[in-house]
Amino acid sequence: MSKVTLGIAGVSLVSALALGFTATADAQLLTHKDLSLAVATTIAQGAIDACKAQGYNVSAHVVGREGQVIVALRNEKAGLATYENSMKKAYTARTLRMPSGQFANNVKGNPTAGQLYLTNITPAQGALPIMIGNDTVGAIGISGAPGGDKDEACAKVGIDKVAAQLK
Amino acid sequence: MSRRAYLIGGLSLAAVVAGAVSVNAQLVTNKDLSLAMATTIAQTAIQTCKAQGYAVSAHVLGRNGEVLVSMRGDDTAPHTLENSFKKAYTSRAQRIPSGKFAENVKGNPNAGALHLTNMMPAQGALPIMIGEDVIGAVGVSGAPGGDKDEACAKTGIDKVAADLK
Repeated sequence: MSKVTLGIAGVSLVSALALGFTATADAQLLTHKDLSLAVATTIAQGAIDACKAQGYNVSAHVVGREGQVIVALRNEKAGLATYENSMKKAYTARTLRMPSGQFANNVKGNPTAGQLYLTNITPAQGALPIMIGNDTVGAIGISGAPGGDKDEACAKVGIDKVAAQLK
Repeated sequence: MSRRAYLIGGLSLAAVVAGAVSVNAQLVTNKDLSLAMATTIAQTAIQTCKAQGYAVSAHVLGRNGEVLVSMRGDDTAPHTLENSFKKAYTSRAQRIPSGKFAENVKGNPNAGALHLTNMMPAQGALPIMIGEDVIGAVGVSGAPGGDKDEACAKTGIDKVAADLK
């Protein structure tokens, strides 16, 4: 074969490989980043500590991409319901990809909103989604402070602690 | 009655009343795990196993079997979180290592305790004690063998041993 022919063959091979990539576009596996236990623990403890410094005893949940519990911390000095409530807020923020307080605003005055009838959805402020760019990789929920806005502020402190790693 | 008799009578009455009332009606005083201690126990257990190459999840329960800390280890199988909880609950409820419970019911599938909710005949959890008082339990799941789970659980308790009094 001449050098030119070889060159053409080479270009064809490259095209074939390129087509190969086209073929895999639909079938390739998903790649995503997920929270590690260490990062999740830092978030939860950071939030609890932030609230404690303000005199509020709160419980915390950090849930992952599938809403699964990664870290659950029951504050022995917080109210009994705070453990469950922090989980539900976190689940709500994860699955709706927005602060649970935003969801609460959205359904205000609409008690028959369908989402309110799903398991573990709660229209209460105090949880924030944990994001990498636009990808929601989990959520943190806080309960126990006198006001969902205060819960949410503590949740934010927790996320801010690991902001550098969320990329 | 003489003054002395009154005095003796009064003392006796006081003794009876004080005794009867305080024995039956006084409040129970308990020491319980703090969140900080429970977190240390769980994290130490997970890190010990991780250092040995085992990915595990852990639960620390309190006096009434309530969850104080729940931690899903990186790269663990989904069931390990539930399993670590059930082992811990078993250990707390039975006041013995869950592995000891497993031995006790071996060959006796009709043991009543096996039919209670959350009872798990599997090694990997230890009661957390202050002397003879069981104040909680730590359960671990994910290592290749309950004995290894239990060894990691033990390092968690050992870490706070000085404070368990």
